[in-house]
Amino acid sequence: MNNASITKQEIMAVYPKVAATMADALGCDVEQVKLEASLIDDLSAESIDFLDIVFRLERAFKVKIPRGKIVEEARGDLSEAEFDKGGIVTDAGLARLKAYLSEVPAERFMAPLKSADIPRLFTTETFCKMVLRQQRAVGVTAPAA
Amino acid sequence: MNNPTVTDSGLAGSVAIVTGGSRGIGRAIVQVLAAAGMEVVFTYRENAPAAAEVAAAGPQGKVTAQATDVRDPAACAALAEKVFDRAGRIDLLVNNAGVIRDNPLSALEPADVHTVIETNVEGTFNMTRAIIPFMISRRRGKIVNVSSVSGEKGGRGQTNYAASKGAINAFTRALAVEVASRGITVNAVAPGVIETEMSRAVRELAGDQIKARILLRRYGRPEEVAHAVWFLSSRYADYITGQILHVDGGFKME
Repeated sequence: MNNASITKQEIMAVYPKVAATMADALGCDVEQVKLEASLIDDLSAESIDFLDIVFRLERAFKVKIPRGKIVEEARGDLSEAEFDKGGIVTDAGLARLKAYLSEVPAERFMAPLKSADIPRLFTTETFCKMVLRQQRAVGVTAPAA
Repeated sequence: MNNPTVTDSGLAGSVAIVTGGSRGIGRAIVQVLAAAGMEVVFTYRENAPAAAEVAAAGPQGKVTAQATDVRDPAACAALAEKVFDRAGRIDLLVNNAGVIRDNPLSALEPADVHTVIETNVEGTFNMTRAIIPFMISRRRGKIVNVSSVSGEKGGRGQTNYAASKGAINAFTRALAVEVASRGITVNAVAPGVIETEMSRAVRELAGDQIKARILLRRYGRPEEVAHAVWFLSSRYADYITGQILHVDGGFKME
């Protein structure tokens, strides 16, 4: 379940439904929800919106998305202490995040990065990938468009 | 807008979940909300005959009993899904389920503390966590928690119960802040001494002393608490959030 195994084609297959779901949650036009849009910086999402988006995606795609899943999966086999020191993501942690969030432009990973600010990196594509990973986890092979 | 009216609470046709609805105050809440035209799903833990009685007494098909232990987060989540899948909406949550294990602190067993906190506090967390995503998504909803006079005024032999109800008050105020931007209000009612099975022991033990401290000189009735819950659930309370409404006849402490 690494990033390399998710193709652009698969992402584009779920994108319309993810974008529509996010537009509903954020009360914006679906056209604004571009694949590369940052939820917080471009779409003015607040932390409570993330809960709502994940909840709506779960229902729209009939998958379960555990809270905190993105950071947990990005961290992989790094211990929490190796990933985060005093609320700041370590160099090793930053490397993991860059690899995991490959859809986010490299220049946006600016050190020092506070762990609390990790969600600022998330884009629409991040959520497309999250849905696809969870679909695979429950054995859905063809992504529902 | 038409002329002001005080006949339409806005509750008819909407859906409520009430925890601990088979007896006492919870039962009265179920009955009052059903009378206001709501579809009410209430939980109970053990007393199936009492629960069946409450369900049967409601308008046809409008009151449903569900055996759900609020201490179990998965069971709360399952109930929320079930109600939403069937009704397509959840408008109101009343966190009423609670237990009491009174004893002076030195005589309290760890289990007495644990049981009270687990049901009263964690149960409120569990059911609210299960239901609030549905309300956030709809940008509307009301939550009413059943606290107690002891949450603020204390009472001998009630450290565990008082702590649990104080926690509910704090929970009410904090959650009100968290979800206000999503059109959800969170309030609590704080009953005083109400004529229920739960308060029977304390009423029998210290009835005269207690009544002397109640300005209205009588115990409350379950429906008097239910009417306060009805008010906080209705559209008349749309502009009220983060409040603890005391329904205690003017209860004074020493």
